Amino acid sequence: MTRGILLTVILISLLMLTPAAAVASPVGVTVAPDRSDVSTVLGGRFTLKTEVTNTGSVPTGVLLAHLNVASVQGDIYVDPEDWSPARSQEFSLQPGDSRMLSWEIQAVNSGKFAAYVVVLPFGEEVAGTEELVVSPLVKLDVAPRSTVSAGLALPVVVLIPLALGATAAVTLIRARRRT
Amino acid sequence: MTTVVKSRDLRAPRNALDRPAGRSGWLVVAGQEVQDLWKSGRGPLLLFCFSVLLSAVTYLASTNQALNFLERREAVNLLLQFAVAVGVLVTLIVSADGISGERERGTLESLLVTPVSRRGIIAGKLIAALSLWLAAFLVSVPYVWVLARAVGILSKALILGLVVGTIVAIGMASIGLLISAVCNSNKTSLAASAFLLLILFAPTQLPSGLPQGWFFDVLQLANPVASALSYLTTQLVQGAHWTEDLVYLVSPVITVVLAGGALILFGPGIVRLRAGGDAG
Repeated sequence: MTRGILLTVILISLLMLTPAAAVASPVGVTVAPDRSDVSTVLGGRFTLKTEVTNTGSVPTGVLLAHLNVASVQGDIYVDPEDWSPARSQEFSLQPGDSRMLSWEIQAVNSGKFAAYVVVLPFGEEVAGTEELVVSPLVKLDVAPRSTVSAGLALPVVVLIPLALGATAAVTLIRARRRT
Repeated sequence: MTTVVKSRDLRAPRNALDRPAGRSGWLVVAGQEVQDLWKSGRGPLLLFCFSVLLSAVTYLASTNQALNFLERREAVNLLLQFAVAVGVLVTLIVSADGISGERERGTLESLLVTPVSRRGIIAGKLIAALSLWLAAFLVSVPYVWVLARAVGILSKALILGLVVGTIVAIGMASIGLLISAVCNSNKTSLAASAFLLLILFAPTQLPSGLPQGWFFDVLQLANPVASALSYLTTQLVQGAHWTEDLVYLVSPVITVVLAGGALILFGPGIVRLRAGGDAG
C-alpha cells in the first residue's frame, strides 16, 4: 500500500516536471473584418477594417496585427507590400476592449485574392510558442482593366521616330542647300 | 556652318528704324533664335534622338506583360522622368551654346550692336531654348499616352510633366545661359553644363537600398532635378494629392528665381565680347 502511494506520488511529481505544452495559451482576442468580400477593378483603392476584441480576462500586452494578401486562384505572384505599404499595426487591449484597425489597400493585380489579418504577440517577451489569431478571409475579386500591349505601342514607338527623323533629314538638307 | 551663315545674315547691324513696329526687341531675338534652332536642323535632329530614346523605353515597358498595376505606374513614372531629364538636358545644351557659341562663331558682336537690350537678347535666347523643351514634351505625349491610359493617370502624368518639367527647364536653361555668358569657350560651356546636369541627375539613380539619412534627404531636397523627379514619383507611383510633398518643388522654384534673377541683374554685365573670345 505504502509502495503504491509512493509510486503515485513519484508519478505525479514526474508529470509536474514535464515541460509545458508546445502551444502556450492563446492571445485571447478575436479578429473580425467588416465585410467578407470586396469587388473592385485593377488599381482600385479600398479600406478594409478589422475589429480586434480582447475576449480574455487579462490585458493582452503589446500585440501586432499584420495584414496579408494571397492569390487564391492561378499562379499570380502577389507582393503584399504593393497592395498595402502599411501592413503592421501595434496595439494593446484591456479585457473587454476592442480596437478598429483600418487597412488602406490598392488592388495591383487582377484575379481572385484573399486578405486576412493575423494577430500575434509582440515584444521581447514573446516565447515563440504562442498561438496566432487569424481573421476570417476577405475575398477580393479584382476585375482586369485594359493593359498595355505591344500591338498598341508599336505604331507609336516606330512611327514617331520615323516621322521626326524624316523631318530632321529634310530640314538639314534644306539648310545645307541654303548655304 | 549653316548656323554661322544664318546667324550672320540675321544679325547684321541695323538701326532702330529696322525694328518691327509694335514688337519688343526680345521678341525679335526670340523669333530669330527659334527659327535658327529649328530651320538649321539642330532642333529636329535633337528631337529625333529624343524620340528614339523614348521609343526604346516605351517599347520595353509595354511589352513586359508581367508588370502589375503598380509597376505600370512606375513605368509611366520612369518614362516621364526620362522625358523630363532628357528634355531638360537638350534645353540646357542649347542654352549653354547661347552666348559662348555666338562669341566663338564671331556673331556676338553683330548681335550686340542691334537695338535690342542685352536683357532682351538673354530673354530671346531663353525662349528659344525653352521652345526645344516644349517640343520635347509634345513628342513625349503619345508615349505617355501608351503607358498611362491603361492605369488611368494620363491627364495627371501630362499635367505633371508639363508643369514640373517647365519649371526645371526654365531653371536649368537660365543656368546654362549664365554658364555660357561667363565661359569664353563654347566647349567649356557645353561641358560644364552637361557635367552639372549629370551631377544633379546622378542621385536619382542611386539604389533605393542604400542607407539614406537626413543628410541625403537634405541633399535631395536641395537638388532641383532630383527633387522635381521625386515629386513626380510621389504623385504617379504613390498616388499622392498634388498639394502633398510640395516641398520637393521648392528647390526647382528657387533655382528659377535665383538663376533668372542673376540673368536679369548681371546679364547686361556678362553678355559682352571678351578679349580673345573668338579664339575660344
